[in-house]
Amino acid sequence: SDYLDNGNNKMAIQQADKLLKKHKDLHCAKVLKAIGLQRTGKQDEAYALAQEVAALEPTDDNSLQALTILYREMHRPELVTKLYEAAVKKVPNSEEYHSHLFMAYARVGEYKKMQQAGMALYKIVPKNPYYFWSVMSLIMQSISAQDENLSKTMFLPLAERMVEKMVKEDKIEAEAEVELYYMILERLEKYKEALDVVRGKLGEKLTSELQSRENKCMAMYKKLRRWPECNALSRKLLLKNSDDWQFYITYFDSAFQLIDESWTPPPEEEHSLEGEVHYSIEQAVKFIEERITEESKSSRPRRGPYLAKLELIRRLRYRGCNDEYKLGDPEELMFQYFKKFGDKPCCFTDLQVFVDLLPSSQYTKFISQLLEVTPLSATAENEIALPADTKALQQHLCVVQLSRLLGIYHAMDKKQKLTAVWELMLRYRHGLEFGKSCLKTELQFSDYYCLLAVHLLLDLWLEGEEAAVWQCLTLLEEGLSHSPSNAQFKLLLIRIYCRLGAFEPVAELYSSLDAKHIQHDTIGYLLTRYAESLGHYTAASQSCNFALRFFHSNQKDTSEYIIQAYKYGAFEKIPEFIAFRNRLNSSLHFAQVRTERMFLDLLLEANISTSLEESIKSMSLSPEEDDIPWKDLRDNRDLTVLFNWDPKDRDISEEHRKLSLEEETMWLRIRSLTLRLVSGLPTLSHTIQPKNSEKTAENGVSSKIDTIRSLLQQLEAAVDSGKKFLEQKIQYPVLGPPPTRMAGFFSNGSCQCQTSLFYLVSDIYELDTNGLEDSAEIQERIGNSFKSLVERLTDLFNKCKGDLIEVRDGTLKTHPNLLENLVFFVETISIALWVSSYCDGVLRPFKSNLQKKKKKKKESSVAMPPVFTHFLDYVTELQILTSNVIDHIKGLEIILTALKLEELSLKDTLLLQEEKKFTKTVQGKVQSSYHHSVQEIGELLKKRLDTIKKLKI
Amino acid sequence: AAALMLCTFTVMGKAEGSVAREEWHGHVTALSVAPEFRRLGLAAKLMELLEEISEKKGGFFVDLFVRVSNQVAVNMYKQLGYSVYRTVLEYYSASNGEPDEDAYDMRKALSRDTEKKSIIPLPHPVRPEDIE
Repeated sequence: SDYLDNGNNKMAIQQADKLLKKHKDLHCAKVLKAIGLQRTGKQDEAYALAQEVAALEPTDDNSLQALTILYREMHRPELVTKLYEAAVKKVPNSEEYHSHLFMAYARVGEYKKMQQAGMALYKIVPKNPYYFWSVMSLIMQSISAQDENLSKTMFLPLAERMVEKMVKEDKIEAEAEVELYYMILERLEKYKEALDVVRGKLGEKLTSELQSRENKCMAMYKKLRRWPECNALSRKLLLKNSDDWQFYITYFDSAFQLIDESWTPPPEEEHSLEGEVHYSIEQAVKFIEERITEESKSSRPRRGPYLAKLELIRRLRYRGCNDEYKLGDPEELMFQYFKKFGDKPCCFTDLQVFVDLLPSSQYTKFISQLLEVTPLSATAENEIALPADTKALQQHLCVVQLSRLLGIYHAMDKKQKLTAVWELMLRYRHGLEFGKSCLKTELQFSDYYCLLAVHLLLDLWLEGEEAAVWQCLTLLEEGLSHSPSNAQFKLLLIRIYCRLGAFEPVAELYSSLDAKHIQHDTIGYLLTRYAESLGHYTAASQSCNFALRFFHSNQKDTSEYIIQAYKYGAFEKIPEFIAFRNRLNSSLHFAQVRTERMFLDLLLEANISTSLEESIKSMSLSPEEDDIPWKDLRDNRDLTVLFNWDPKDRDISEEHRKLSLEEETMWLRIRSLTLRLVSGLPTLSHTIQPKNSEKTAENGVSSKIDTIRSLLQQLEAAVDSGKKFLEQKIQYPVLGPPPTRMAGFFSNGSCQCQTSLFYLVSDIYELDTNGLEDSAEIQERIGNSFKSLVERLTDLFNKCKGDLIEVRDGTLKTHPNLLENLVFFVETISIALWVSSYCDGVLRPFKSNLQKKKKKKKESSVAMPPVFTHFLDYVTELQILTSNVIDHIKGLEIILTALKLEELSLKDTLLLQEEKKFTKTVQGKVQSSYHHSVQEIGELLKKRLDTIKKLKI
Repeated sequence: AAALMLCTFTVMGKAEGSVAREEWHGHVTALSVAPEFRRLGLAAKLMELLEEISEKKGGFFVDLFVRVSNQVAVNMYKQLGYSVYRTVLEYYSASNGEPDEDAYDMRKALSRDTEKKSIIPLPHPVRPEDIE
């Protein structure tokens, strides 16, 4: 088996064979051979051999373990359960086999059987963990039960009784067992009982998490709406640590609840279970002021008390109290906060939360007030005053960020903005001095100056200043060269390159982000939205694969996590793991990459390297099957992964998220329906129906066309809602969610072409079932469809014409929409050709029949029906059109190659030498990327052209 | 105030080792603080919490691995009372052709280790496969 471990599967098989010659029935050798077979791609043989051994119900450790490994590699974990079921029957007292059986059930989520297996184990060896495995399995049954009533009246009470039994017998040992008890009571909504457990003797075992008892108590007090306890406990915890923000929130929430209820403490008794309660605004004000006084004595500055004061002001204002309680002017308090914490990078985000408290008329004054206390010094008059150390730099940076937040930069005119950019870049470059000894993995202190300058330039670009976007890229590339680990630089570069239609530089940038695990779901959209649509097919396949690999392995990994959680008694994590798995399984991005990956495979291969039918079969695609959980789709995208300091009204809003999800879902629906329609094409052909059972075959096919027609209806409906959606003309912020390809799909006419093509399929099917007799009307309809399709496809081609990159007034301008249209053209013509080959399959037998008749009659009286000529003309037109597009693409390639960007006079004399260098790099990257796109699109189209030649009947 | 929760740090610790051999200890698997929330003493606070839990769990010491080149982190841990117990050769496997990097195994004794035996430095570096 060393051979297996080393990956030498062939040798492993040989060795196993040798052994088997000597000992014919050596089970383990057989299984090892099977593993070798499985790993060399002989799944069927491996399976057969494994089943041979399994049928003997082995009880030796080696065979069992080897089979477990094999089944896991076969993705058949359910077979492992069978294996150990048989083993424990034969060796009923084996703790080991029973525990393997339990884990095998856990892998497949057989909760009921887990419960029994746990108890069986406990009977053999009365160890607590086994007993509680069984209890946990009851909870899992309750979570997975569809019927909530059943879960509350049966599973959970049973679990509760099981734990109570152990409590009564004083057998509770581990922290995990108490956690489990708490979990049961919480789910039963027995909050009072849960509280008693946590506060009682058992609660003393809760030590693994800090403040575990306190947090659990707080959660229960909230559920029970016991505000006095909530308040008193928060107060106690804040006295211990005045920086724990969550307790300020519960402190305020509970205090205001008590105020609204006019609560008064019971006479001559403790205020509450947790001691003293604050139930008036005066007390709250005093408490916060005391925290501040306390803070000023501490050695390490604490932000909590100061922010709590601002929070209290905000809450009081919300209730209509302004300054009755003499807490002070927010502007002054924020100023003081800046003085104290301005040199910390978090100062901006801290204050951001409270800027609403400032009147807009005070913004400019507030900012200049901050500037006044920022220690900057100028070496000469008229020179920009610069910070002398990183603390001063950080303070100034905070002021700049706040200025952006307050809209001060937005209000500037073009000239002011350009000056501001220049100043920010000067500060950025000056700040690099402080970070000369930084490691490659560290960020430069002044990076944000550069990022802020780029944001300003982005504003200018969106206002129509074409040159600004190139400067954005230039500055970002410059920034990245000094700070190669800055993810924000990379992310923004990715976004801008994509917006300009240049995908090539993006792949490298993204890979240097080193996205891991869940990030394939949360930020994968940055890649997958653009790769395919910009004609980088290879990169598109790769990006889909990254994501898919993660989603698929997640399934397996989660089982492992669950097993580990049982082993270590981390019970409360198990439902979390399962919720996590579910969330990933219903991920929007997962559904998207699944769909687009299949689309891509068809586009690149179907009827080129393999037949459409085979391609569809190998993906197990079928028109009837819809595996997208439409109702539960979860948008896991991180839409705020790109930093910004924009004011609220320009920032990404909840509304944007909602709309973007809606748009993505609509587009996904259109794509998935189109894919299913394409996958239905081969099912309509006669060729795949068995000839001897014509009757049943016909029934089979007729239900297929019903499926197609119903899908077509659904597609029409999806298109309608998509169009309605787009009428709203939503503009997402440039750093927010990217718009889908839907708008282009409608406006360039691909949508109409594609739907007409599926209607054509329906007509051809009709001709097929009707036969050529009395089919003049259908034939005419088909002929007209052909004609209008050619017109529409020609229109689509016209929408692809024009220069991809042009030089205007010394500035480059890219036209990514032309590229996107070209990609849509290729896709649409591919569908047209798949439909044509279906059509070809229908017409060919008709024609050969007619020709046979013709030969018999030996005369020319049998006229060729017009549909043949129509089809031939149509295919010829498609061929000409495709050739024209290929020629056009060749032309684009020549222009792109000839485009001499070096000669582009960079008129802007403001540009430094270094900037000029980066500008050249950037423009070169864009040019090369366009070249790449055009080449890939051209190559694919050439392959498609070759397939047309086969269609001429 | 939800924005204040943006603080994205992680501390993963696990209690491992056997009590009999006085190896029962807390281990820091990873610790990172988002750039925006640095310079606030969060890392120190998190280490303090892990030590507190490890004390409660009756551990003998707390340990962690850190890249030899990560001077900032090494110094911080030293300030927090940690010392280099041993060097683990080529512990961090590097990508893109660069050489693998060594790690320091740094430790801090907890109150249960009264004689501070757990932190007496080893005289020779060890290989990753030799650490348990």
